[in-house]
Amino acid sequence: MPVVEVDPDELRVLAGREDRSDDDLRADLFALGLEFEGETPAGAFELEFAPDRLDRLSVEGIARSLRYHYGEARGVHIPSASPPDWRIIADPPADRPCITGAVVRGVDLDESSLASLIQLQEKLHATIGRDRAKGAIGIHDLTMMKGAAVADSAADVEEAADSVAQADPTDPADPADGADPTDPADPSEVSDADVADVGSAAEHATPESVPANAVHYTGVDPDGPSFVPLETDTEMTPADVLRDHPTGRTYADLVDDPVPALTDGLGLFSFPPVINGRRTEVTTDSRDLFIESTGTDQWTIDRMCTIVCYALTARGGSIERVTVDYVDDGRTLDRPDLETETKRVSHERIERTLGVDLRTDQVVDRLERSGLDGAVVETGDDEIAYDVTIPPYRVDVLHPRDVVDDVGRAHGFNELEPRYPDVSTVGGRHADSRRERAIRETLVGLGFQDCLNFHLTGIEETFHRMALLDEEPPTSATGIDAPSDANPLTDGSALGAAGPVTISEPYSAEYEIVRTWALPSLLQVLENNTHRAYPQHLSEIGLAAHVDPDAGPTGVAERQTVAGVLAATDAGYEDAKARVAALARAFDVDLATPPTDHPSFIDGRTAAVELDGQRAGVLGELRPAVLVEHDLEVPVAGFEVDAAALGGGE
Amino acid sequence: MELPRTAVAVLESCDAEEWRSIEELAATIDEPPETVTRAAFELADEGLVSVESETESTATLTAEGESYLDEGLPEVRLYTAVLDLLSDASDGAASVAIGDAVGVAGLDGQAVDVALSNFPRKYGAIEEGAIRPDPSADPDGDPEARALTAVADGAECDADTLDRLASRGLAELEEHTSQRVRRTEDGDRALDEGVEVADGVGQVTPALLSGGDWQDTDLRAYNVAADADPVHGGRTHVLRAMAERVTDVLVGMGFEEMQGPHVDAQFWINDCLFMPQDHPARTHWDQFALDAPDAIDDLPDDLVDRVREAHRTGVGEDGSGYHSPWDEDVARDLDLRGHTTSLTMRHLAGVAEADVEAPARFFSVEKAYRNDTIDATHLLEFFQIEGWVLADELSVRDLMGTFEEFYAQFGITDLEFKPHYNPYTEPSFELFGEHPETGELIEIGNSGLFRDEVLEPLGVEGDVMAWGLALERLAMLTTGAEDIRDLHGTLADLDFLRHAEVTY
Repeated sequence: MPVVEVDPDELRVLAGREDRSDDDLRADLFALGLEFEGETPAGAFELEFAPDRLDRLSVEGIARSLRYHYGEARGVHIPSASPPDWRIIADPPADRPCITGAVVRGVDLDESSLASLIQLQEKLHATIGRDRAKGAIGIHDLTMMKGAAVADSAADVEEAADSVAQADPTDPADPADGADPTDPADPSEVSDADVADVGSAAEHATPESVPANAVHYTGVDPDGPSFVPLETDTEMTPADVLRDHPTGRTYADLVDDPVPALTDGLGLFSFPPVINGRRTEVTTDSRDLFIESTGTDQWTIDRMCTIVCYALTARGGSIERVTVDYVDDGRTLDRPDLETETKRVSHERIERTLGVDLRTDQVVDRLERSGLDGAVVETGDDEIAYDVTIPPYRVDVLHPRDVVDDVGRAHGFNELEPRYPDVSTVGGRHADSRRERAIRETLVGLGFQDCLNFHLTGIEETFHRMALLDEEPPTSATGIDAPSDANPLTDGSALGAAGPVTISEPYSAEYEIVRTWALPSLLQVLENNTHRAYPQHLSEIGLAAHVDPDAGPTGVAERQTVAGVLAATDAGYEDAKARVAALARAFDVDLATPPTDHPSFIDGRTAAVELDGQRAGVLGELRPAVLVEHDLEVPVAGFEVDAAALGGGE
Repeated sequence: MELPRTAVAVLESCDAEEWRSIEELAATIDEPPETVTRAAFELADEGLVSVESETESTATLTAEGESYLDEGLPEVRLYTAVLDLLSDASDGAASVAIGDAVGVAGLDGQAVDVALSNFPRKYGAIEEGAIRPDPSADPDGDPEARALTAVADGAECDADTLDRLASRGLAELEEHTSQRVRRTEDGDRALDEGVEVADGVGQVTPALLSGGDWQDTDLRAYNVAADADPVHGGRTHVLRAMAERVTDVLVGMGFEEMQGPHVDAQFWINDCLFMPQDHPARTHWDQFALDAPDAIDDLPDDLVDRVREAHRTGVGEDGSGYHSPWDEDVARDLDLRGHTTSLTMRHLAGVAEADVEAPARFFSVEKAYRNDTIDATHLLEFFQIEGWVLADELSVRDLMGTFEEFYAQFGITDLEFKPHYNPYTEPSFELFGEHPETGELIEIGNSGLFRDEVLEPLGVEGDVMAWGLALERLAMLTTGAEDIRDLHGTLADLDFLRHAEVTY
């Protein structure tokens, strides 16, 4: 889960509550679902939270949420945006087909706010950006950019103006009679007139003027244009970056030939999603910023760009729109995307989910305190619903249900009185679990210490150390010489010698397969307890599995297996047989023990366990070679049988 | 006072003034020394005698020591030979060549080395191949030679010299501890007041019972406070016992148990749970993908279609899907289940058993597998307690009430519900409770109401609330175990398992 570092002083200032102590702040943050993990040496809070509210990945966003929490702000706030002066002409490479952008002017960055901006960018990359594959964001110093010349630009723009995506002009949320939208960052910066109309994004969609400056987003030859990337002072082509620059090597897998490139009137200035150029690097002196985001999904990069714009307006910036023209299909987008969305939520759903009765004004109040707007609508006889306006920085609202959650949070979940549901059901155990318990109780009654071992184990432990295989450990399951359709319980092949379920990227060689039998686990327990008092009688009932294409859709035969070992100076075959016989008697199944061979057991002292005439397992004295391999100096007799053969279960 | 026969005999035959050895007493009362020792310690426990232990060394000569007893110590023989040679010499020389002296002394083999290495300590100097004797040395009074004789004769001798003999390998020292017994004042008083032999029978035998003798027999009293040899009977594993306890509670609350495959398709583990295929939450589980086998053969087609639609376009009029790719091949990939919520999905879909209809309660306490870093609180596999309730209408309050009831069974009260995010539940809560002993606020589970995007594709009508937590966490809380590796796996210490407190 993401961890964000936040300076508590800055948080207090931005949230407008400098009176809150550190403890107060921590409690407020917990209520928002942000867990305090610790402090950095510099005194910043480390806050961990689940990756849903990506608008809270920076101090500015957390402060905005706190302002709503404190009641300092209510309802949806949409920052104003001035007409575009820049356009992006996009003829993108096929594997990174989307771009968006924005200009933010008049920001006031110090070291700390710059660090916060970089952190926000990184956290967005790590979450919604899927490590830059789905979306990557770049922020540039606009004053270092020069608009590119555009051939036939007037025609392009004419066309663009006609095809601009229209926002939903029927947005019912009218803040005039409901919310009092207040800029959560700095109310003095933006006048009421600027923010009065939540649906204003729709109007903005029609460019008032032709953007004078252009940036090109294209695919270029990796060995083509060159620039000086960040963290170097040498001129490099994209191919050089991928080969020689550490960041380039990290993200080389994300690009193909042609590589994505952003160019302005002075040439290449960014190589997304890998690295920006030094020319447009943002510093504390930067006042006007150009923001672009490229990726594989337009919605995703638009959200990333919007979240950054919101954060920058909290730093005194004002948004200026950017026009995105796609060359191939003539689409023109007006960005950043500040359009709201509407979800209709019924009053009944809210009451049912929260389990409390609420008045409509209470619901609207809770919505506004969540940074949403709600308009009451009648949807039928005595049926009321709310058309809820969702601001563009919210990426987590997929369904009306998510709005109900916001209402609950604003209402205070811990205010709700718990009640035991008035629902009557009949409980019971699964048949397999009842049988497992009966087997365990029987074995414990026979004096066995019940064990609980891992289902994951190693090839070495399962096969080689048990003398099931002679050769060196195979590197994968395919190296194990067992017919894939072998069923070791019925076809007479040695118990345990079956193709194991094999993990692709194991934690270590000790945990690379699911065990095919349980006796190796018990031998390991004996091995680790040679300093403990003997006799040691151990048993285990648990999972064993092997690959079997006929075993059902997953191709894995999973079984409940029952294993036991008797380790003592005088332990022998008869001791083990006596226990198996006692188990068989307890479950009223007939036991026969015809001689058999098994590589782990001594020849002539090994029997197949047949329960009611069915082959169900093996019984015998472990080979000295196996004992010595496990550092044991006492004889060990053991058995393993399939629990299903004892009857019952499903 | 009544005492066992031997004890009475020992008490009577020891003395209030003088220490008597066990051997003496054994001879007196004609019992083996072990019996007397046991009786003496029993009397000492009663305060009737004092027992004093004394450690003595006895020395015996080694074969080498024996041989020097006759021949004399090699260094003494060398000294004597040197003096002989010098007195024969006419030139008044003060030293003799080593070779000459060794020859005259008749030393050979190892005795030469022994003589040369011990000579300078007692009899003079050896320099540049020549021996210069110390004329004032006294070979007849050699303390080591005398000690050798003394050991052979069983006489007393000086401890330092004895050590020297031992270090030269001429004698072996053996230590033994012997006990001496003396009667205390309480013992005297007891004797004065009269001590009787507690006659009677130790063991109840078949013959005693069948012969009728038991009617006239006193059964001797045992020392019932004494320790008995430890017995390690069979024990249910401590974590299994905890699982049983949880199962008891849940069955008692009307929950029915689920079981199902450990190896399952991502479809059941993730996709049905509305986890987008590229979402960090999906790698967040960090499940184990499989090489063999790698994909499931069979998924219900119509359910796959509905789940795909939920991911792509959402559910309901105002629903929106994820802006993420959805590929059926990914859904078919087999993993070790990262949570047992896959069982819940199979049950809600009606593929595990018959279709489930409201009202219903289900649970499981089964293993899940995650690619964690192994430490004191994390293993690669753990038992997940999974529970859910399906009813026509359920609210957050019902969820809270159910969990309060469940956790109260384990002494965890005052639950707090921290709003949380899960891809598959909304609202979601992390559950925090007070540690029964430390009073700390600790996370004890994750819960929520399943989303419409989960329930609608599965064809479930009604509301479903669900929760999960690790059994190990509950066990560590209630048993005080500090390292999960003691509880689970092949590194388990048998002593820990044998001595763990029972859970019930």
